[in-house]
Amino acid sequence: MAVSTKAPKARQLSDLARQEERTAWWLLFPSLLLLFLIGIYPLAQVFYLSTTNKRFASSQPTEFIGFANYRDLLSMTVRELPVQLDEAGQPVIEDGKKQYESWVRVLPREPLRYRAAFEFGFFGKRYVIGAVNADFIKSVWDTIVFTVVAVALETLIGLIIALALSRKFFGRSVMRTAMLVPWAIITVVSSLIWEWMFKSNRSGFFNALFDRLGWGDGNTVFLVNPALQMPSIIAIDVWKTAPFMALLLLAGLATIPRELYEAAEVDGANKIRKFFSITLPLLLPTMAVALVFRTLDSLRVFDLFQVVFGERRYSMATFAQFTLVSNKDMGLSAAASVIIFIILFIFAIIYMRSLKVDA
Amino acid sequence: MKKVFLALAAAILAFASAQEINYITGNRGSDVDYATRKAQEYMADHPGVTINVIQGPESATDRAQQYLQFFEAQSGEVDLFEIDVIWPGDMAEHLVNLYDYAGYNEAAPDFFPAIVANNTVDGRLVGIPYFTDAGLLYYRQDLLDKYSLSVPTTWDELTAAAQTIQDGERAEGNPDFWGFVWQGNAYEGLTCDALEWVASNGGGEIVEVQEDGSKLITINNENAIAALEKAASWVGTISPNGVTGYQEEDAREVWQSGNAAFMRNWPYAYSLGNGEDSAVAGKFGVAALPMGSGEGARNAGTLGGWQLAVSKYSANPEVAADFALFLTNHENQLDNAITRSLLPTRTAVYEDQALLDSGSAFMAEFLPVFQGAVARPSTATAPNYLQASQYFFSAVHSVLTGEEDAETALALLELDLESLTGFPTAQ
Amino acid sequence: MNKQTRKIIGEIFFYILIAIIAIYLIFPFYWALISALKTEGELIAAPATFFPKEITFRNFQAVFTNTAFLRGILNSFIVAGSTTLFSLMVGAFAGYALGKLRFRGRTPTLYTILAMTMFPAVAILSGLFQVIKAIQDIAWLNVPTLVLLILIYMVFTLPFTIWVLTSFFRGLPDSLLQAAQVDGATFLQTFWYILLPLTAPALVTTGLLAFIGAWNEYLFALTFTLQEPGSRTVPVAISQLGGRFAMQEPTGELMAAALIITVPLITLVLIFQNRIVDGLTAGAVKG
Repeated sequence: MAVSTKAPKARQLSDLARQEERTAWWLLFPSLLLLFLIGIYPLAQVFYLSTTNKRFASSQPTEFIGFANYRDLLSMTVRELPVQLDEAGQPVIEDGKKQYESWVRVLPREPLRYRAAFEFGFFGKRYVIGAVNADFIKSVWDTIVFTVVAVALETLIGLIIALALSRKFFGRSVMRTAMLVPWAIITVVSSLIWEWMFKSNRSGFFNALFDRLGWGDGNTVFLVNPALQMPSIIAIDVWKTAPFMALLLLAGLATIPRELYEAAEVDGANKIRKFFSITLPLLLPTMAVALVFRTLDSLRVFDLFQVVFGERRYSMATFAQFTLVSNKDMGLSAAASVIIFIILFIFAIIYMRSLKVDA
Repeated sequence: MKKVFLALAAAILAFASAQEINYITGNRGSDVDYATRKAQEYMADHPGVTINVIQGPESATDRAQQYLQFFEAQSGEVDLFEIDVIWPGDMAEHLVNLYDYAGYNEAAPDFFPAIVANNTVDGRLVGIPYFTDAGLLYYRQDLLDKYSLSVPTTWDELTAAAQTIQDGERAEGNPDFWGFVWQGNAYEGLTCDALEWVASNGGGEIVEVQEDGSKLITINNENAIAALEKAASWVGTISPNGVTGYQEEDAREVWQSGNAAFMRNWPYAYSLGNGEDSAVAGKFGVAALPMGSGEGARNAGTLGGWQLAVSKYSANPEVAADFALFLTNHENQLDNAITRSLLPTRTAVYEDQALLDSGSAFMAEFLPVFQGAVARPSTATAPNYLQASQYFFSAVHSVLTGEEDAETALALLELDLESLTGFPTAQ
Repeated sequence: MNKQTRKIIGEIFFYILIAIIAIYLIFPFYWALISALKTEGELIAAPATFFPKEITFRNFQAVFTNTAFLRGILNSFIVAGSTTLFSLMVGAFAGYALGKLRFRGRTPTLYTILAMTMFPAVAILSGLFQVIKAIQDIAWLNVPTLVLLILIYMVFTLPFTIWVLTSFFRGLPDSLLQAAQVDGATFLQTFWYILLPLTAPALVTTGLLAFIGAWNEYLFALTFTLQEPGSRTVPVAISQLGGRFAMQEPTGELMAAALIITVPLITLVLIFQNRIVDGLTAGAVKG
């Protein structure tokens, strides 16, 4: 369409342009063929199933139920928690803090039953966020927090590694090999190694180490204590995937022409200026692609959560798995997957727009 | 020409009489070897039958997913499955009724009635008990002697004894010592442990089948609340805080390194505990789990174990059923008990002299425990058992970690179970 | 402070930083190694020892005598290797088209390709199972399981490969293309003789990442090789390392297995690195 509006010049070029277009489609053909042949049916099926009440491995008839699965997954409400009062009508205070009523009293039960997903304080009042499927809402929140923090740290550490490896220094080859180790270990196994290191008594590395250093009592519960769960799992993920970033960024660095630096040196630019005026802008396209894929990957994180947290805490993908296998609710699981798909798409578009990778 | 015809006819005949079945075994080291050996014995007696032994996935979730995948596709590629004791209800519609096959009507009464009942869905026997399991109390005889204590028979006695030993051992300079270790992670294993606390305290079995066949949600009662409060009081006192992340192996590691006075675990820890590399070899004994103090208190160990089941989509169900019967006959159960420490499901095997003379003799002592094991309400809540169990262990886990008090947690659990199953509640 | 001392202090900080990162990256590997070398008694003892008191090779022995595991390594190399090779071949064409050619529908195509990777694996497993069964049912094709796995993995590695290569192709100056066109080269010739050699570092890196992605995959491998033990890949074989008894987890053996499969992979990468990956840093930043 764009071609036909730019009339005269386009017509001149049209033969060439048409040839270019034909070549492009021929080059794309094998990839698209494979993707569609294998991929399209399973993908379409997920969309279809998300609007049904299909049960996994069951002879129960499947019915179309519209958006009921989405309603069950996404219904949320915010309610204020009343202060707990004693018989005299005074607020109950324990440990110097006002006590609040349980969420059970304030969240609606009809027509859908809400459960507490989060509680938070705001301007001296206490609120509860209720959700029909609190596990799912929590999994979405946890996965997004996990992704944002982990990907930011990975990018930072990956960049440091890449910049370090791009200069010559003593031990560079050792470092290059070290960098590959976390990536080369199969995720399921590396999760086990870390789980083993995070054990809740002194037979685990961290408890043994902290105990020697005199921190804690040697029984720190890294993977069960809600406050330590996220930092622990992020540490594992950053370890595992910072090398991915580093490798891609290293390749990106290699394509930056050296002459640019030489020219900058002639102008008397210092290291920091060179980094911000040459390295970073030229590295941005590579970094954008790396970011997109790391983000999409960690939003779909599965193995890591499965091994380390099991059913204590879900990621979006382990939630979908649980709903399918234990709950056998294939429709609901598919709807959860479609929501994951949409969240991923939103992230992808934000990246494209802000980093201009699709320009 | 005639020759060709004859050869062809022979080939077709051979093809028609050749019966091939695929059998998914467990994943324990010896499972495939054992199954292959038994398959060869069976094939030697049944020419024309081919049995392919396939090693199943390790984790129960992976395995359930694979099986359901086969059922969803109505695939007959696997004929004979090993299924967990909690699956018959959920998978019943994809499994054949074994009573329709030769030998089962005669054999069924010889098996533990509780397991047969568990495997019977709407009058159909969908799995034949292969081997059983039940929760046991492991205790350190040497430490009981050291502190002049006897094997506890109630939870209160256990709590007191565990505290005494823990205080004593810590005072002697072992900061890693704990009184009692068990499985407190939020997973199916916690359902097993918590069912034992509740049932042994007269708190019922979560969802119960009434005499008239109707089902009732009974979990929200005082005895159950008391049982959970008791268990929650262990966390951080006689049990480590980390116990809320423990599975079977975590408990066994602490126990086997000599750092626990008592452990709740399955019988598999017995042989390992007496292994050459174990710090507790020869120093421990096993007993029935203690009981509570509430009305109707009794000893209760949760029923575990695996069943053999034949797929409805199988092309050769009669061969698969016959092979399953062969695997569970007296001789083979004896073999399994002696060579692999797997608990027989036929009562008569426990009285066999060959078993009593073997290293697995301890099994005979606990026949009453195994026979009286409490089944999880998997058949009663089918096909929603796994979800019901997840509600249950999540509720219990929130009590153990102190996020919720027992009363609220069980009240909420009752609501959840009500909306999941539609069964009435006890009140 | 003069320039000289500032530089030295900077260097010291640099090395400290590098050392911390190196320890972070390597330490878990070291922990797996000593765990695999410990006896079971020492492995579960508290407090943990930072160096084994008594070294045993039993875990390594057990893994090395496990034929299913060794077979798994071979299968994994075949599957991950072929996946990488084909993904790069097919993906380089697509990346060139998307990165350097102008045509209608370019952006939608990019997004559609990306969308292929946006579902959690578990969601599409069931649909994929049906597709694979349908392919297997075409008897005359008789597609081996390993080939099916390669096809499946390509669906998941291709979007990544295409995107990375697209961005690299786009980074190459247009002047090269124009010069080639002036010389009368066809698109394919330009692609083959000019663009491909220039993107070699990107190809190697992408290939490495695609390889490891395929090497790591567990869920699909488990599902589609269940009935064909001979086709099992390493992650499945590892998950099949069972204890002697029900529920027993052979932690030591798992650690040993993790090391054993990592070493050949790293060796392979090192060989590649010395041959080709030097190109990665050849034109790199100075200072």
